[in-house]
Amino acid sequence: MAYSDKVIDHYENPRNVGSLPKDDVNVGTGLVGAPECGDVMKLQVKVNPATGVIDDAKFKTFGCGSAIASSSLATEWLKGKTVDEALAIKNTDIVNELSLPPVKIHCSVLAEDAIKAAIADYKKKQASEGKLSAVSSQTSV
Amino acid sequence: MSSPTLQVCRECGGGAPVDAHFCPQCSKILTLGRHGDYFAFLGLPRKLGIDAEDLEQRFRGLSRKFHPDYFYNAAPAERRASLERSSYLNDAYRTLKQPITRIEYLLQVEGLAPKNPQEASRQVPPALLEEVFALNEELDEIRDLRSGGAPAEAWKSRLERARRPIEAKRVEHEAQLEELSARWDALVESGAGERDRRAALEALRDRFLERNYITNLLAGIERELNAAL
Repeated sequence: MAYSDKVIDHYENPRNVGSLPKDDVNVGTGLVGAPECGDVMKLQVKVNPATGVIDDAKFKTFGCGSAIASSSLATEWLKGKTVDEALAIKNTDIVNELSLPPVKIHCSVLAEDAIKAAIADYKKKQASEGKLSAVSSQTSV
Repeated sequence: MSSPTLQVCRECGGGAPVDAHFCPQCSKILTLGRHGDYFAFLGLPRKLGIDAEDLEQRFRGLSRKFHPDYFYNAAPAERRASLERSSYLNDAYRTLKQPITRIEYLLQVEGLAPKNPQEASRQVPPALLEEVFALNEELDEIRDLRSGGAPAEAWKSRLERARRPIEAKRVEHEAQLEELSARWDALVESGAGERDRRAALEALRDRFLERNYITNLLAGIERELNAAL
């Protein structure tokens, strides 16, 4: 089985590898795994509180080339999107862009899962933050 | 279950039990068609506790009976049946010999093979993912140190330190699999109902899913250690 050029490119030059401060309220972290191959993927988004747009996205994946390429591509797509737009990214979009073969589709599923987990974490943080600051913001607005 | 209990001998047209290897009427070797599974093929109950010596004896006994040399002058259908049964027997033996592939096979024949990846992912405890991720990062750093030309003393002890918790986890994990396997066997023996059996298999599957993380990590550590030699 041959990898597509795009997979190889993302694998050899992964975009946005690294991490963002986990405890930042504007950062959402998703950590997911694929038990059938033992891959682990961490994906993080940093949302601009003023605009609701994702300013930055980082990932780190321990796994096969397709898993790395899927998460690398996901971080590229996430930047500049709103949280809701990010949730609209489907694993099939990743499959098409990277021309993933059927046996590697689960890698794209993992990336979609990671995006959803990161956004869910962000929303959870915002909700608990919102409760805490509700009193103070009433006076400032 | 609606699996057939009889097969038809193509030689004499007589009926034979589905897991018979030779026709009880004409004693010719039966074509390998619809039949049970590896356990039944070897005449074993669908249990995870298998005596290695007993398995070996069953394998050797059948191996002798199916051996293509004995069918050298037989009709083509019998020759083919001997080859097919020999080959299936080898697969069955190889699969059931190792406790791990045995569990994997049981889950498969009981219909608990991996569902869709998203569901499988949620069945892995987050704490394990965190741990695996952190250890992978540590391995990455050690690899960088080594490829950067750092002396072996600088990273070998770190590698050993990284291995200890995951090795402990492997041992613990194996014990859990053994315990769950014994639970399954007890349920089979007592003729427990579908619900109890299902619950035991699901517990077994959830544990089983964690295995790849542990073995991948250990393999990564071994690779680094060997690279040091």
